[in-house]
Amino acid sequence: MSFRFPRFPVSAPVRDTGPMMTTTMAASDPGPIGLRAEAVGMTYRRGQHETVALAECSLDIPRGTWASLIGASGCGKSTLLRIFADIVKPTAGVATLHGLSPAQARANRTFALVSQQSTMLPWRKILGNVELGLEVAGAQPVERRNTAMQMIELVGLAGFENAYPHELSGGMRQRAAIARALTLRPQFLLMDEPFGALDEITREKLNFELLRILRETGATMLLVTHSISEAIILSDQVAVMTPRPGRISHLVRIGFGHDRTAAMRDDPRFTACEAELRHALHGGAPLH
Amino acid sequence: MTDIPLVPAMAAAGPDEPSRIGALLGAVLPPAACLLGLVLLWAVGSATGLIPFYFLPAPQAVALEFVNNTEVLVRHGTATLTEALSGFVIGNATAVVAAAVLSSVPALRDMFYPYALVSRAIPIIVFAPVVVVLLGRGYPPIIAIVSFTVYFPTFLNMMRGLAAVDADLDELLHTFSASRRQRLFLVSFPTAVPYFFAALKISASSCFISALVTEWIGANVGLGYLVVVSSQYFKLASLWAAIFTSAGLTLSLLGLVHVAEHLCGRFTATAAEMDA
Repeated sequence: MSFRFPRFPVSAPVRDTGPMMTTTMAASDPGPIGLRAEAVGMTYRRGQHETVALAECSLDIPRGTWASLIGASGCGKSTLLRIFADIVKPTAGVATLHGLSPAQARANRTFALVSQQSTMLPWRKILGNVELGLEVAGAQPVERRNTAMQMIELVGLAGFENAYPHELSGGMRQRAAIARALTLRPQFLLMDEPFGALDEITREKLNFELLRILRETGATMLLVTHSISEAIILSDQVAVMTPRPGRISHLVRIGFGHDRTAAMRDDPRFTACEAELRHALHGGAPLH
Repeated sequence: MTDIPLVPAMAAAGPDEPSRIGALLGAVLPPAACLLGLVLLWAVGSATGLIPFYFLPAPQAVALEFVNNTEVLVRHGTATLTEALSGFVIGNATAVVAAAVLSSVPALRDMFYPYALVSRAIPIIVFAPVVVVLLGRGYPPIIAIVSFTVYFPTFLNMMRGLAAVDADLDELLHTFSASRRQRLFLVSFPTAVPYFFAALKISASSCFISALVTEWIGANVGLGYLVVVSSQYFKLASLWAAIFTSAGLTLSLLGLVHVAEHLCGRFTATAAEMDA
């Protein structure tokens, strides 16, 4: 197994908890290279003053697997995601997406970003908003429309394509934002607290919908969240980040495979993961 | 905030939105009533001698002027309308293009923006004689001066509007690898639409004002010219007819701008609703 994280305390609290664990363990399979951060650092300078936002962050997310960055506000988790999305450039280290630099990946449109504010053009209907990515990419109108309608259906918004964004609830707008991200058939989905502005009930519902969408599209996902349960539901591995300077302090494997249902929440392993993550978030040493 | 009722939400744009005609009537009726009241006051004032005829002739005298001297008013009105509208179009078009170019190319903005601001400090009307010498008599100098007057508010507003793009939208287009041109047309221009209309409302009146004033200086046709000549010959009814004609023309253009703004309502109204 070449897939190791010697720099950080690696813990796998659910390693020997039963036969289910030995099934589809996508996260522990080395797999082809997906998202990779190698000693990524980010230092902001203002005159003499230096702020280290990220220090020595390394992460490896094989293709087709899902990972989460979790941590308190200001721990740099969004910064790390925005480095992958080529919105900011790291001051140290290298981030790659399937071997490409973020800038190349962006030019090739191999990733899509979904942010907390389901950023929509308020003067366009949902269909027009979902089509936006394809429109920028120069797709033909008919192809654009068909793909957009397909994705609107996939996220469960069929019938709302002619509504304006302000006519929809926050949860529905977020579905539209996910549909828009999917139209480009991205290999990588970068999600920055996509459900952060939603209520707990809507959020959990969308978590499991996103699971279904991820399975159907086979995308690799990096999710930034501050919800422990969301991180577990949606991840093969969870990187716990601590602030000042932002670094990955723990890496927790979630051994649920990809065939997950809402019943996973009642699984004792879920509770174990939750406990482990909570412990890690409060700065503790790994439990095992 | 739930997602449960997955039925088409088109009803959301339904009953409580007033009809377009109703809204138009609501906007037109109160000022029309006000105008009617003023004209009545005026008529009464003139009839009782409260308003001396050499100051303001009776409304029926001015109305008679419109009937008897239609040809003269149309000729001069057409001239002023041509100058004002040409200047309105040229000035606004130049301003939009200039703002689009300067806001997309930071180097150019840094170079020209201060001068674009300084240009406003030039009291352009004092240059009218110079412009007349340069461009000759007739329409060209007047259109040039009107364009210059109109250009500035639109340029300034467009610069602000194009820069008002939501940072998240900007980021989104960045991750889509949108070109500068795509960003401009997909996001910047729609964002600037409310700013653009605010400027158009200013220039809709200022284009007529500057056309009229320039006509005083260097023209032998136009409502401004008619005003000057009428006052010199003490033809007060003609003078007031010219004033009302230019006011009517200005209001018509303002009305057109207003209608156009309503037609672009989705760019102006929903942006505010989005913030809610």
